[in-house]
Amino acid sequence: MVSFKKSMLWRVGIVVLAAVMVEILSIVQYQHVRKALLEETELRSLLVMKDMAEVVQHTLERTEITLRENLWDVKRSMVHPDSVFGAMVRLIDEDPNIVGACLAFRPYYYPSKGRLFEPYASLQPDGSIKVDQIAGPDHDYTRNEEYAWVLETLSTSWTDPYKYGPDSLAFTTYLVPIYDEVGQIDAVCGLDIDLSWLGDTLNTRQPYPSSFGLLLTPEGELVAGPSKSRTPETEVKHVVDLLNGVIPASQVPGLSYSTTKLYKDPYWQVVEVYKTDEVYARVRHQRRQQVFFILLGLVILMFMIDRYARNERHLREASEEKARMGAELEVAHRIQQEMLPKTFPPFIYGSLEPALEVGGDLFDFYTRDGKLFFCIGDVSGKGVPSAMLMSVARSLFRILSQKVDSPSKVLEYMNKELCQGNDSNMFITFFVGCLDLYSGELRFSNAGHDKPFVVAKDIVLLSSKSNLPLAVFPNTQYEEQTCTLEPGTLLLLYTDGLTEAKNMDREAFGRPRIQNVLEQFRIGSDQSLYKLVSTLSEEAHAFAGEAPQSDDLTMLALRFDPEYNRQEQITLVNKESEVTRLGSFVKDFLEPLQLDKKLAAGMRLALEEAVVNVINYAYPVGEQGEVLINADTNGHEVRFTITDSGYPFDPTTVLEPDTTLDAQNRPIGGLGILLSRKLMDSISYNRKDGKNVLSLTKFIL
Amino acid sequence: MTTTIQETDERIIAFLSGELDTAAAAQTEKDLQPLLNSKGKEIVLDCKELQYISSSGLRVLLSILKQAQSVGSRVVLKNVNDVIHDVLDISGFISIFDIE
Repeated sequence: MVSFKKSMLWRVGIVVLAAVMVEILSIVQYQHVRKALLEETELRSLLVMKDMAEVVQHTLERTEITLRENLWDVKRSMVHPDSVFGAMVRLIDEDPNIVGACLAFRPYYYPSKGRLFEPYASLQPDGSIKVDQIAGPDHDYTRNEEYAWVLETLSTSWTDPYKYGPDSLAFTTYLVPIYDEVGQIDAVCGLDIDLSWLGDTLNTRQPYPSSFGLLLTPEGELVAGPSKSRTPETEVKHVVDLLNGVIPASQVPGLSYSTTKLYKDPYWQVVEVYKTDEVYARVRHQRRQQVFFILLGLVILMFMIDRYARNERHLREASEEKARMGAELEVAHRIQQEMLPKTFPPFIYGSLEPALEVGGDLFDFYTRDGKLFFCIGDVSGKGVPSAMLMSVARSLFRILSQKVDSPSKVLEYMNKELCQGNDSNMFITFFVGCLDLYSGELRFSNAGHDKPFVVAKDIVLLSSKSNLPLAVFPNTQYEEQTCTLEPGTLLLLYTDGLTEAKNMDREAFGRPRIQNVLEQFRIGSDQSLYKLVSTLSEEAHAFAGEAPQSDDLTMLALRFDPEYNRQEQITLVNKESEVTRLGSFVKDFLEPLQLDKKLAAGMRLALEEAVVNVINYAYPVGEQGEVLINADTNGHEVRFTITDSGYPFDPTTVLEPDTTLDAQNRPIGGLGILLSRKLMDSISYNRKDGKNVLSLTKFIL
Repeated sequence: MTTTIQETDERIIAFLSGELDTAAAAQTEKDLQPLLNSKGKEIVLDCKELQYISSSGLRVLLSILKQAQSVGSRVVLKNVNDVIHDVLDISGFISIFDIE
């Protein structure tokens, strides 16, 4: 259990470590991708700005070309001050980018116009062109820095973008000096270019929905930007403030921008603004997906580990359960083996080898009243269910055959009992025999069991009539048969585990092989029954070879052997002194049995007490009477029969004396019969033909 | 069945030898008469050579015990073999005799 927990901990640890590593990898990758993405975005905005720059440059160049191409027209118009207006209008007509054109003459160029003269044409919102002379005390262009700068440097120039007018439109003005034939400057031509469209152009091809481009003056003043519908003014203002350092960068997190210089003039700047959130949005989405999959994988992995651990636990539990079952089966096996007779008198021997731990076969025997009761049976099926039914059958046989001598009756009663509640439809083939150990008379009844072999001079199968097995129908009648065995005759009972023991080729052991073995056990053979059973078992196993034992292997062999039967008798008269003769008689009779001293003494005492009882009380005082004592044995038990013609008296009904009283109150009467009872295995009384017949039996094995 | 009796100042010892069966009981009882006059001395029944005892024999032992107890004598059974021990056990006599 401890090692299991450890290994579980280990596994979880590995998974967590793996997960952490995957996560770290994913974070590194994410950061890397972010950086790459940011770089790419900057590159993209540079490209956008380059496009922008080209567009603006193209626009401005076009204006420059327009002026160059129309310079002759402007110069020609200068012949008369009023014709200048027409030239200005034509310039506006020529180039849609030009929204205003003026010509600022050097002071007193037209004496008639005074010091300052500046004809100006401008495009009106309704598309018409308005002309005007705009110079005056309020508007002295000679004080204009740019005008002065042109005069000083004698070069063309573009003004910085500026805002002008009620709508705060953004403009730039192209300033070109106009020379006369000798190279003196007559005037400066100014062409106003509306830049407000630049804001729209800057923002038509933005890479992200919320990114935007700005055009700023060198002073950082906003010239053009996204439309109000695209980006809120406050946001634009925010960025402009940021660029001008009005607010620190820390106040606008998540905002990123690139700036680039525009056109030849270093004072223009275009700003591309985008939000990092948006830039990272897709990669963040991917990252979220990645994390989700990692977590999912982890969960699946944990689930798998859990399942694995569970399976392992089940396996372990199953194997523990199996071990426990094994242990219980081992106990069941022992119990079942203990039910089988273990000590065998010389005339009978049996063995049972279960195919599984427990089996459905059984055999049993015992002797009663000089008769050997024996049985062999085979419960259908194998294993625990069979074994349980087998135990029931064995108990029933024991109980019933104690009271009933007739094998068919025993079967009948057993069958009735076994049929009750036999829902599993198991059945038992069963053979019951009762052999009179003195006469050799065999009574038997066969409930569907294999016919036993009878080995006398010939080897034959006992011609038994087959009745239905036990536990089939409750009212089955079992036929009983009788035969008499010759002395020396051997009977072999077996279950189909012997005849049907299979080898690897699925051949059965069969009866002929049994018969071969039995050849050596014909009448006259002094080979032991143990030898027979063990030989058959060995042969069957040798035959089966590697093939597993498929069924219980059970055999019971018995021999009618009057060699062990002995019977002696003595007649005493009713005098106490006769007890001495009785003592010698018993000692002589028991001598050949070579019994344990205590056992022999006990039997002698039991008999003496019973006989003394008769001597003392059976006959009227003074009347001579006889006591006949018969002793017999079959090698398995010793039986004394005491017969007298005295008063009818059944000593078995005498109450036992109280053996716990103190010496003064201790009665002595009844002690004798107590000793007889205690020292013998059974004691029975019969009144027969006017005689008392008392039987005392003792098993001697 | 033979019995031998030795008497000292403190005790009377009876050596029982042979088989104390019903036939021998009457004679043995007679032979052990001296024990009935123990006068408070301890009675020892040495059963070393006793091979067999029947209920009649037990009756003899019981009557000696009863007599001895009435005069305040103790009765001790010595050297009891298995066979005799068994009989004493079955008959319950084991509880009324001192067995050494």
